[in-house]
Amino acid sequence: MHPSLDAVGVTFRFAGADAPALDDVSLRVDPGEYVALLGPNGAGKTTLIGMVTGLRVPDRGTVRVCGGDPTSARTRLRLGAVLQDTAFPRHLTVRELVEGAAVRSGVPRGRAAGVLEEVGLDDLARRRSGKLSGGQRRRLQLARALVADPALLVLDEPTEGLDAAARRDFWRNLTARRDAGMAVLLTTHIVEEAGAVADRVSVIAGGRVVADESPASLTGRLADRTVSVRTALPAAVVRDLPGVLRVEETAGRLVVVTTSPEAVVRRVLHDDPTAHDLRVEAASLEEAVMAATDRMSA
Amino acid sequence: MTTVDTPVTAATAATATRAPSTLALLGAEVRDELKQVYREPAALFFSVLMPVAFFAFFSAMFGGETAGVGGLPVGTTMLATFGAYGVLGATMLTPGIGLAEERERGWLDVVKVSPVPVPLTLLAKVVATLPYCVGILGAMTATAAALGVLRIGVGQWLLLLAALLVGSLPFALIGLAVGARASGNATTAVLNAFVIPMAIAGGLWFPLEMLPGWMGSVAQFLPTYHLSRLALGPLEGGAATGSIGHAAYLLGFAVVAGAVAAVAYRRPAR
Repeated sequence: MHPSLDAVGVTFRFAGADAPALDDVSLRVDPGEYVALLGPNGAGKTTLIGMVTGLRVPDRGTVRVCGGDPTSARTRLRLGAVLQDTAFPRHLTVRELVEGAAVRSGVPRGRAAGVLEEVGLDDLARRRSGKLSGGQRRRLQLARALVADPALLVLDEPTEGLDAAARRDFWRNLTARRDAGMAVLLTTHIVEEAGAVADRVSVIAGGRVVADESPASLTGRLADRTVSVRTALPAAVVRDLPGVLRVEETAGRLVVVTTSPEAVVRRVLHDDPTAHDLRVEAASLEEAVMAATDRMSA
Repeated sequence: MTTVDTPVTAATAATATRAPSTLALLGAEVRDELKQVYREPAALFFSVLMPVAFFAFFSAMFGGETAGVGGLPVGTTMLATFGAYGVLGATMLTPGIGLAEERERGWLDVVKVSPVPVPLTLLAKVVATLPYCVGILGAMTATAAALGVLRIGVGQWLLLLAALLVGSLPFALIGLAVGARASGNATTAVLNAFVIPMAIAGGLWFPLEMLPGWMGSVAQFLPTYHLSRLALGPLEGGAATGSIGHAAYLLGFAVVAGAVAAVAYRRPAR
């Protein structure tokens, strides 16, 4: 069986740009696997999504979706996508748009009703898309992408504009399809959300993949710990301690990122016996991603 | 949003979906285009009412004169010239502006990642203007009949309609070429700036004899002139031999316009 996505050595440079947007990027997503593409703005995530969806063609390297060329209509039968900044034809109704996606993908029109119920748009089926809220439009995009049961679903910032409850339901809907073999490639700025749903995170920085592993593995590799304590001590007291990477001082609280939390805790309690509300936490996925991208730029 | 146990099967995701036929895809695209057209009645004003109003105005003034081709009333020959104006406006503006707006709103990217080949979507936009064209010529015909200046058989009328529809293809391609690169507002402005001067210089509003002599010379090179001459063919009856030349000119122009549209569309937006 072909991988759902197999990108090998993808390189792409925008006209006039000094550096390539993507530089020898390889990424594989297997059936049923959920992979999050993370990285700072301008890292090349959306450019890579463009390659996967056939909107762009690499200068070098190959991109195959289910073994096929993503620029071909036949391959796109296997591909679903929720893209950023999409407005629908405003005079078509929700149902017409989802049924239309079904018909164009060669699946029965009747499948639309179930998907509309799945994403919670069944009550709005007769509403014209021009009258939907941002969150409703996002769900409509998802419904259109899901109606053909794609083998690979590409989600570019899919939960942008959704509130916390809607985001939770969004991911719950998708998780139900993992067992059916649907693979997901997603980008999101909400890193912890990616960590919760993805089997693997692929971190892109400067157009290169700088990490590609499970969220637990990525955070586990990071020795950084965050020490947070309410104290009257100034930041300068701990800034020069060995292992301290970053110190923030906000409203009577010191937040110290360090590879040696014991030294920080000892010093704070020695200098300020009234210090309280002390917490030592492992690195978050967001910090691990930042560390991976920092290593790249260092 | 609710969570529902949807009957998703591994087979549906893992096995190839049967591709719909080209005709089914085109039908779906045309259906959606038509729905949008008819749910936006304001568009009808500019596309249908304006050219018909112009036709009614000039027909009321000059339509009864028998200076038309083959001694026909001018009002009847104006079906060809004003019909050409109306049809070229509809086929050039509607698909071009529609493409520009869809591109701006990101919908074209959705189409590109769907199983529908983009040329089919563009073709659907042109096909969806055909009811407009029939409506325009039908309304002009009714107006001419009401004014008592209509002398045309059903067969001639159908040939006239066919000539207008086929002859409007290059204009649709020009509209798509502009719509592939410019914003919606810019496309509207550019195409309107093209339509009206080309209509006047091509003799669609006034006979070339009424215009300065140099304009008559220029007109020979304009596609609008050849569209109106092609449309006049069915009204001229036996004197229609020149139609082949006009059709050939329009075909050549369509090839050029199609090449420009293809380059405009394919040129990556970097």
